[in-house]
Amino acid sequence: MQKIVITGLGLVTPVGTGVKKSWESFVQGRNGANEMKSFDTSKYKVHRSCEVKDFHLDIELENQIKENTIHKYVYYAAREALQESGLMDKNNFNIERFGIAIGTLAAELTPFERLLRPDTSKKDNGFDRIVAAVYPPNSITNILAKYFGFEGPTMVSLNACSSGNHAIAWAYDLLIENKVDVVMVGGGDMIPQTEFTHFHNLKALAPEKCQPFDKNRQGLMIGEGAGILIMERYDFARKRGAPIIAEMRGYGLSCDGFHMTAPHPEGEGAVKCMSDAIRMVGLSPNDIGYVNAHGTGTPHNDKAETIAIKRVFSESAYKIPCSSTKSMIGHLMGAASAVESVVCCLVLKHGIIPPTINYETPDTECDLDYVPNVARELKVHHVLNNSFAFGGNNATTIFSRNDN
Amino acid sequence: MGKRVVITGIGVVSPLGCKKEDFWNGLIEGKSGIAPMTSLDLTNYKCKLGGEVRDLHPETHLGSKGLKYLNKGTRFLGSAAKMAIDDAKLPVDGSLSNVMGIVIGSSLGNYSETTDYFYEIIKGNPSELSPMRSYDVALNSSINYVSVIFKIKGLARTISAGFTSSTDAIGDAYKMIQRDMARVIIAGGVEQISIDLFLIFYIRGLLSGLDGKRELSTPFDKGRNGFVMSEGSYVVILEELQHAMERCAPIYAEVKGFGNTYVGGRDYTENERINRAKKAMSEAIEEANINERDITLISANACGCKIQDAVEAKAIQSLFGSNVSNVPISANKSNIGESYGTSGAAQIISAVMSVNTGIIPQIINHKENDPDFNLNLVLERPLKKEIRYAMINNMDYDGNNSCLVISIFNK
Repeated sequence: MQKIVITGLGLVTPVGTGVKKSWESFVQGRNGANEMKSFDTSKYKVHRSCEVKDFHLDIELENQIKENTIHKYVYYAAREALQESGLMDKNNFNIERFGIAIGTLAAELTPFERLLRPDTSKKDNGFDRIVAAVYPPNSITNILAKYFGFEGPTMVSLNACSSGNHAIAWAYDLLIENKVDVVMVGGGDMIPQTEFTHFHNLKALAPEKCQPFDKNRQGLMIGEGAGILIMERYDFARKRGAPIIAEMRGYGLSCDGFHMTAPHPEGEGAVKCMSDAIRMVGLSPNDIGYVNAHGTGTPHNDKAETIAIKRVFSESAYKIPCSSTKSMIGHLMGAASAVESVVCCLVLKHGIIPPTINYETPDTECDLDYVPNVARELKVHHVLNNSFAFGGNNATTIFSRNDN
Repeated sequence: MGKRVVITGIGVVSPLGCKKEDFWNGLIEGKSGIAPMTSLDLTNYKCKLGGEVRDLHPETHLGSKGLKYLNKGTRFLGSAAKMAIDDAKLPVDGSLSNVMGIVIGSSLGNYSETTDYFYEIIKGNPSELSPMRSYDVALNSSINYVSVIFKIKGLARTISAGFTSSTDAIGDAYKMIQRDMARVIIAGGVEQISIDLFLIFYIRGLLSGLDGKRELSTPFDKGRNGFVMSEGSYVVILEELQHAMERCAPIYAEVKGFGNTYVGGRDYTENERINRAKKAMSEAIEEANINERDITLISANACGCKIQDAVEAKAIQSLFGSNVSNVPISANKSNIGESYGTSGAAQIISAVMSVNTGIIPQIINHKENDPDFNLNLVLERPLKKEIRYAMINNMDYDGNNSCLVISIFNK
């Protein structure tokens, strides 16, 4: 069967703009949490989140993206990924075989909140063509298609926190089916006040810091940013001499079918999702060298995920490093699993496991190797990326080193 | 070759009624679901009409427990899904949980509740808003709701691709069953009328009546001047053939091919648009392993837009050549309007019913032929015709062209 490879990565995260800066921060264990700046939180009990800092549009970007929306993060990450993959110039290729799949939770909300809010007194709420143009979720794929000249099939995944992995799974199938040569995949989100309020009122937000798997964990922190991967058919990549960063091996999907907001307490859906992914790839659980946990930092998720990992990996669960990068960047919602997939590729590339920071007090119910506080050098061959969305909508992806 | 995929259930929440029979009888009786909009105050706008869902009683499908916390989109989808499940005689006792999935397309499902919520946030004290309002917040929550009440554990996916969202969802579900990712998938779309959606269409100049002329849904008509917006949820049960046979399920039709191309992102010439639309159709036909001459019904995207209808008509004419006059064309948007992210699923259900009954519903509101078109439109009365293969076109002006080919079921 045709191999599917990753040839370019792009990141905008609360701990750095660009892959290089973000990765340095991940390795150093930097905390991306800050006092909320993008809107006034005085009427809330929580005032912190993980915002993107020091993001400056260069002149080229400024000309392309006028509005303060998630498009600028996605655009930045996409351009970075395309530059690495060598696909900025597509003159020799059939661009109708270049597709796009992007996951987001609130793409349509940020333009609404950020552009409409000052104009609520005006006629039509100040609604104008610009707002309408950036409004529906699929405007993300249209903007990327326009800027980068991709003219193959597109989709936007609105699968909440597993959106990015769903987009990757969709792209994988399209590539395997040979409908396309290349798919730009990933996810992006900004912090909409609407989502902040939802999480806040559900008492899911941590007040100070995100502490996945810690005994005193108090919840998640909302984050923002974007992650993009260039996925292509191996033959296509090899023929054009592209740099091959990693191999995308397969995925597992599942659904808890249990509760509108809470995860299944025994991690039932998570078990199916991970097991299906491992089976699809043709590996055994012992082959997995690193798990990028969903690890949101909420009491329920981390406990259920730990149980699920033990059910899938049995005794070896204790030996597999399993960290949550959400401890540093927060929960990027629709972008989370895309960014974490980029992290997984970087783990394969650099042989370093990023830590779970803010880890202070062990929890007897969460007793795996979470790589506490300090990054670890470790060459791994296969990595697994979990994403378990609000309401039990799960997707797991597996990446491998290309030399296998 | 992958697994064969059949359609074993249908669920409809539409402006023509909230049963598949209401929808189908409405179509073949030439009824219109379009009426003056009641859920929106359109006093200050030129456009007044819409295809609203009027007589849905979600409690009969979903029970009354927790219903008050559900958004309109979730009520639509939950009800349509329940009707489709019942229609397919699917057990929901958990025995199929792990092999069952849900894939739903929508562009702005549950969106108006979200914008209302935001207005309350900026007006008042956000931390006092009830947490119960955070249970059903986005399209994703709608599918989670369905997965919870029907014990679906296989997979759950939402696809947003503007006007083609639901066709893309059904195409995606078909591919997943082919590859054995699931054996039964609830697939379709949901969309709801809201002031936000109205304004998007209004400001982009897409709605009929904006030019001061008649406000009417008139696909392929010379005087067409835009579409009339509508809402609803259209759901089918896609099932792996062997699975359907083993449990003696009713089989409506078989899904044979899916194709899609893209026209978003830049300005395309009419010819480029025609070629891309044609390519989506060719791909679906090729995948069905047939020739375009085998197609005996086209369920057209035709929403009444000046340019879009012309692109589609010319693409069909170019693909079918001299045979075009032999292929009857139906256009349900004449009856139900343009329901955005769920319009394709509505067309697919109509085509499935045609394949099943040998009746093609007529296009209503048609006054004058467009001299540029040379199409065999089904007008005035339903056409009786045995259909082996039907093709469903679904197009987004700034997005995908998606095409599905279905056939009558033969063992």
